[in-house]
Amino acid sequence: MSYAYLFKYIIIGDTGVGKSCLLLQFTDKRFQPVHDLTIGVEFGARMITIDSKQIKLQIWDTAGQEAFRSITRSYYRGAAGALLVYDITRRETFNHLTTWLDDARQHSNSNMVIMLIGNKSDLESRREVKKEEGEAFAREHGLVFMETSAKTAANVEEAFINTAKEIYEKIQEGVFDINNEANGIKIGPQHSPTNPSLPGATGSSGSQGGGCC
Amino acid sequence: MDSMYARFKNVVVGAVVGHEVGSNHDYSSKNQKLEPKFPYSRPHFLNLDNEEIHISADHRLRPIIHPSKPLPYHAGYAECINAGKSRWNEDQAVYRQGVLTKPEVQFSIPYTYYGIFDGHAGVGAALCAANQLHHIIHEKLVDSQDDIWADFNGKRSVICKQIDLLVIGALESAFKEMDQLIAEDRTKYLAPGGCTACVALFILGKLYVSNAGDSRAILCNNNNFQPLSMDFTPESERDRIRRLVENQPSLIGDEFTSKEFLQPLKTVDLGKTVMFRDAHMKGWAYKTVEQEDLKSPVIVGHGKRSRLMGTIGVTRGFGDHDLYAIYTKVQIKPLLSCRPEVQVYKINSTDKNEVLVMGTDGLWDVVCCSKAAEIVQKSITSFSEKERYICAATCLVGFARGSLVNDHNWQLKNGKQASCDDISVLVIPTFPYKLEYEELCKKYNQKLSDS
Ligand SMILES: Nc1nc2c(ncn2[C@@H]2O[C@H](COP(=O)(O)OP(=O)(O)O)[C@@H](O)[C@H]2O)c(=O)[nH]1
Ligand SMILES: [Mg+2]
Repeated sequence: MSYAYLFKYIIIGDTGVGKSCLLLQFTDKRFQPVHDLTIGVEFGARMITIDSKQIKLQIWDTAGQEAFRSITRSYYRGAAGALLVYDITRRETFNHLTTWLDDARQHSNSNMVIMLIGNKSDLESRREVKKEEGEAFAREHGLVFMETSAKTAANVEEAFINTAKEIYEKIQEGVFDINNEANGIKIGPQHSPTNPSLPGATGSSGSQGGGCC
Repeated sequence: MDSMYARFKNVVVGAVVGHEVGSNHDYSSKNQKLEPKFPYSRPHFLNLDNEEIHISADHRLRPIIHPSKPLPYHAGYAECINAGKSRWNEDQAVYRQGVLTKPEVQFSIPYTYYGIFDGHAGVGAALCAANQLHHIIHEKLVDSQDDIWADFNGKRSVICKQIDLLVIGALESAFKEMDQLIAEDRTKYLAPGGCTACVALFILGKLYVSNAGDSRAILCNNNNFQPLSMDFTPESERDRIRRLVENQPSLIGDEFTSKEFLQPLKTVDLGKTVMFRDAHMKGWAYKTVEQEDLKSPVIVGHGKRSRLMGTIGVTRGFGDHDLYAIYTKVQIKPLLSCRPEVQVYKINSTDKNEVLVMGTDGLWDVVCCSKAAEIVQKSITSFSEKERYICAATCLVGFARGSLVNDHNWQLKNGKQASCDDISVLVIPTFPYKLEYEELCKKYNQKLSDS
């Protein structure tokens, strides 16, 4: 499937806040109550349309555990967008946001769009973090904010798509250097001179498959 | 990314991977029309689509990839690509489960096979081994299965060899055949380069580790370890190579000397008296340096830096049939060997924490065995049974890969140089296999007493 742009996202936040469920809801439109523990990083992808352009989102879903922190930290580089997720029913996941944000800011490129997400909005009765608190945190740190539910799918599309819109606007404004893939943006195959393809078993002699990593 | 790759590419055109040296594999013009026998891919059990294969080959991020579906016994696997020295990941890995059946008794002996292959100078040989070696091993086991059954039944006849020797023989002959197959395929397919092979076969209550090359297998148990393979490098194989050269001096052509000196000799050393030993010697003696002695020694360097004929840093494995010593017309293959060393380990530990760790040299270059055992143990205690071995493999690869500092340097946590090579790791618990085998024996005895 061809696309005008590919945007790379990373999803971060404490373990158990619903990162993997958000991704699954967005890519497969379903909710899986018991999701396997994410180890290191897992990938998802979906096509969206912005400004009548096909945009492919390549999403890196990371593990929240401390054991994988040094590994997942290395994936911030080369992401155009980040979803920073906390769980509105667990205050400590909200309290950890500054650590996550510092980490993200330190290891990502400065133009990365960060969307703050308060997940599990369907669990109103167990809410520990007020919506206003999320809004205030986002305002203070210059983030976009949204409450979502990976279970009911409320705001899930919007969270991913609004992030893409922000990135798209930044491209239009010329903030992103789209020719540098380190920014997490890639121009689609039909727009770029080389067509990425897998090599034969030619290995290091077979550099013809270049232009794709 | 492209610029990064291009930067490295110049350094490694035709390089023997992992061994950072030049080679000149002969891609003769007739070969250029040939297609590879197996297209580039990542291990089958990772189930990566084309997009993910490209993601996995990002030299700047070096993502650590692990299986999304469980492997037998919840074994763990993780890999990451090199930092740019070759376009694709030249390591390969595989697992297979098979059975030896005996229709007469309606009973079968199951086995589980894991393998890792570290390719160099191309992805061809490693792909051939990852896709074919298990078939060959299976055939060899089937060839011996009547004898294996006789032994299993305790009815070993005089002509029957004991099971260990049968399985070892199957592995040894399979390795030989694999190498021959790659040699024969050269006229039909494009498959440059060579690869190491380290395979583990769980069969009949035992673990057989068959290794040719510098990948390594160790058993880890509560922070302790026990090696199950040895590394085959020019340095560790000095004796084998010396004996070959002694019997057939022509193997090293006119460009090399079979003599070893304590230091490299230069023209100014002519006429001096220096310590040496020749191919036929175990000990050392003195001689006067002659012109002849100024040639490059067959083996130079030490440890990971040792090189055979200045070219390759690993001396066993498959492929390399067209490898010549750098800047010469001297063939290297006759000095290489595809013969594995097979170690047998009877799985009788009652310890649930015992695991087999197999890794390519990308891991072992920067992680010592005791550190590996420590990392594994930490994962075992921190994660549930279902995911702990994948976590262990991921943490091992993550540790060896380190993190990118100042946009160009991969560093370990302690600031030392991290591995820039392809890294692949398997972490396989032995306890579930032991239980499975005990169950099998019980069933078989039941069957015998029923009939
Ligand atoms: N009620 C509710 N539960 C959710 C929601 N999102 C995730 N969960 C649950 O939270 C747990 C952790 O989700 P997971 O996606 O694995 O979290 P991760 O560690 O951040 O990837 C799972 O048991 C999910 O079923 C949500 O929006 N609403
Ligand atoms: Mg997750």
